[in-house]
Amino acid sequence: MEVLERPLTDLQHDFDLIKAVRELAKGPLADLADDIDRRGIYPKSILHRLGELGALKAHMAEPGKPADYGLAIAAMTEVSRVCGATGFMVWCHDVCGVYMEQSGNTALMGDVLIKHSSGQTLGATGMSNPMKTFAGIETFLLHAKKVDGGYVVNGTLPWVSNLGPDHYFGAVADIAVDGVVKSEIMFLVRCDAPGVELRNCPSFSAMEGTNTWAVRLTDYFVGAKEMIADPVRPFIGRIRAAFILLQTGMGLGVAQGAIDSMWTVERQLGHVNEFLDDRPDDLQAELDDLTARIMLLAKTPFGADKQFIIDVLDARAHASELALRAAQSALLHQGARGYLMTSEVQRRVRESHFVAIVTPAVKHLRKEIARLSAEEQPA
Amino acid sequence: MSASVAKTEAAGYFSDGPPLGKIAPSGGSVVREATSVGETPAWEIFICKACGLLYDESKGDEDSGLTAGTRFADIPDDWACPLCGVTKADFEIYVAEPVRQARSSTTKAPRANRRPGTVIVGAGRAGWQIAQTLRTQDTRMSITLVTSCNGDVYDKPLLSVAMARGITVDKLPRETGALAAQRLNIKLLANTDAIRITPASRQLRTSRGTLPYQHLVLAHGAEARSLPVFPPELCWRINHLRVYSKFRAALGMTPQRVAVVGAGLIGCELANDLALAGHSVTLLDIADRPLATSLKPEQSQQLLDAWTPLSLTFVGNVQVKHVAPSATLTGKENEKEIATECGRVFTVDHIVLAAGLQTPNALALSAGLAWNNGIDVHAETLATSVKGIYALGDCISIDGRINRYIEPIGRQAKTIAASITGGPPAPYALTRVPLRIKTSSLPFTV
Repeated sequence: MEVLERPLTDLQHDFDLIKAVRELAKGPLADLADDIDRRGIYPKSILHRLGELGALKAHMAEPGKPADYGLAIAAMTEVSRVCGATGFMVWCHDVCGVYMEQSGNTALMGDVLIKHSSGQTLGATGMSNPMKTFAGIETFLLHAKKVDGGYVVNGTLPWVSNLGPDHYFGAVADIAVDGVVKSEIMFLVRCDAPGVELRNCPSFSAMEGTNTWAVRLTDYFVGAKEMIADPVRPFIGRIRAAFILLQTGMGLGVAQGAIDSMWTVERQLGHVNEFLDDRPDDLQAELDDLTARIMLLAKTPFGADKQFIIDVLDARAHASELALRAAQSALLHQGARGYLMTSEVQRRVRESHFVAIVTPAVKHLRKEIARLSAEEQPA
Repeated sequence: MSASVAKTEAAGYFSDGPPLGKIAPSGGSVVREATSVGETPAWEIFICKACGLLYDESKGDEDSGLTAGTRFADIPDDWACPLCGVTKADFEIYVAEPVRQARSSTTKAPRANRRPGTVIVGAGRAGWQIAQTLRTQDTRMSITLVTSCNGDVYDKPLLSVAMARGITVDKLPRETGALAAQRLNIKLLANTDAIRITPASRQLRTSRGTLPYQHLVLAHGAEARSLPVFPPELCWRINHLRVYSKFRAALGMTPQRVAVVGAGLIGCELANDLALAGHSVTLLDIADRPLATSLKPEQSQQLLDAWTPLSLTFVGNVQVKHVAPSATLTGKENEKEIATECGRVFTVDHIVLAAGLQTPNALALSAGLAWNNGIDVHAETLATSVKGIYALGDCISIDGRINRYIEPIGRQAKTIAASITGGPPAPYALTRVPLRIKTSSLPFTV
């Protein structure tokens, strides 16, 4: 298949890393993508390989190497361009690294974090429910009680992705006193610990290989070694932009993959495709502008200024909208061949839907932008 | 992956609130089966807080082995939501909320017109004026007006005199936004924030979706300046009807103690109006007299004399140091204190900060528009530095000068409409217009 290469010259980053990720994505990952999507194959070897290449730690500071969120997003983009599911799991893992790094908890840093950053161990995130709770959309599903030496947590989280018997993920539980939520804790759940049960979820319309489970915690013990943040809200406020910015890699990648598929039929079908909206050159220009904007935002991933947060939320929303439009347009450009069950083009339509609904979904982003945009006045 | 999905009407709904099909027409009540046979209590419906799945007692859940008629209370505690796997404890009784109108903030679009037309940001005088002028000149153009308020049409100068004239807040709008939009055959996106302009793809990004445009007209005006000393949750900044309405509501029906900080145009007009309405007003300024930049010293004195019968005290030569909820134990809620650098303390019920206007710059910055004290527009065409984008009204500056008056807006709209519709050019000319100061006790024209 003919794929028109996107030149690397627009990247200010580590070319070698992006080239290596691109090779991996176009080769072994592309071969697996359909199995990941529909047959539930979990691409463990791909994730480990991405770790070996250094694609999972670009956003982590190391001695002599500052954190580079732009590079992390660019790597995630290359993965998502070929397989949205794997791109999503890269985000799950990357953001778990942010929790650990920013926790200040030595038990989650040092060698533990090095193993995580290099993909030797794999992590994830169960933050959809707390993020929506903080936005006033849901209530906490996990509940903690203080006990000797820590907390015990009970409750069930639906749909936590990138899990495995030896994986771990960040989660939040509320602490109620006399039935009133007083505070929260954020902690690491180790899937192999006592009291953790992974339960099957029904099938989704795409991305079956993301190892997504409902997680039931029964008296799960959280000690000092598992603690990520207490109190939680200032911590979330601090990492919020980083959390959302990293996600943009998924949208950028899915959109780029869709544009790639439009070009593959251009010579043959250009004479009819010219009558379509959202042509590949227009979409590419919009995508390049958005990418440049996101790279700029990624220079200050821990910004907390109100206008900066609005910009980050809007960039994430724009990436989702562009992925939706590009995937839809790619299907119209390819016609029947893109509609085949084995076609990456129809798979990408479903992936783009995921990008637009995964927390924070487009509607949540807009609601939050509206909230932040409102003038503050006396009550 | 297990468990089939399509069991109840809720299947397929994620965390997005109640499925519409189950909502009682009256809304607001717990959905119950209409039939009540004998003494059997009505069937109840429970909703999964995580995914929105509904468990209907009358239907049960066959796949989980729950026969029709299984009461929720009788379901074993280890039962899991068949859709998302959370426990029975994560269900709650399902209360059907009334259906909110799908998009209450949007008026019906005019007949489909595939070309992206003109998008206007702002529904003040400038926004409605350009909409009106464009529609007069082109009956078919698609026009969309985006505004963070409800779009109601009103005369802002009235906000300076409404209390003394006994005009209630509900009488201030001349026409609702929805009716004005209908009259002009435009689409109004009310309660919608304009977030960002992407000029390369000619799109305006908003909190309710992305609008393509051929021409974009910025008419979003200016906002009342905020100052770090004045916490926004304690101090009113009044520059449009929405905040003014809330302020009037907060004043209530009894005389209040109000501090107005800043004795410029808005500060003096508002202080005068408040005092005429019977409130006790303290007007503070750094200068030694009111309207120090607009009036001659003897005119300021005439104004002070005219205010003598009113409960309106001007305090000049003061700089506010601190604003806080009142520390005194008077038992009065919402009391505030203003402390000045020179050690004076004023205890009031309301504080209004009238420190002038400033143009918000986020939208202009996002498009890379030239900025010079405001959105820098060409003196004759009112075009911004970016193709396809124009601006008028309080948000613009011409050669760095700002001219925030009503009179130029009509002529500015004609200029821009001529460019957009391709009519004969109507170059804008900056003319000096008399300034009417609406201090009701003694108005001035300067």
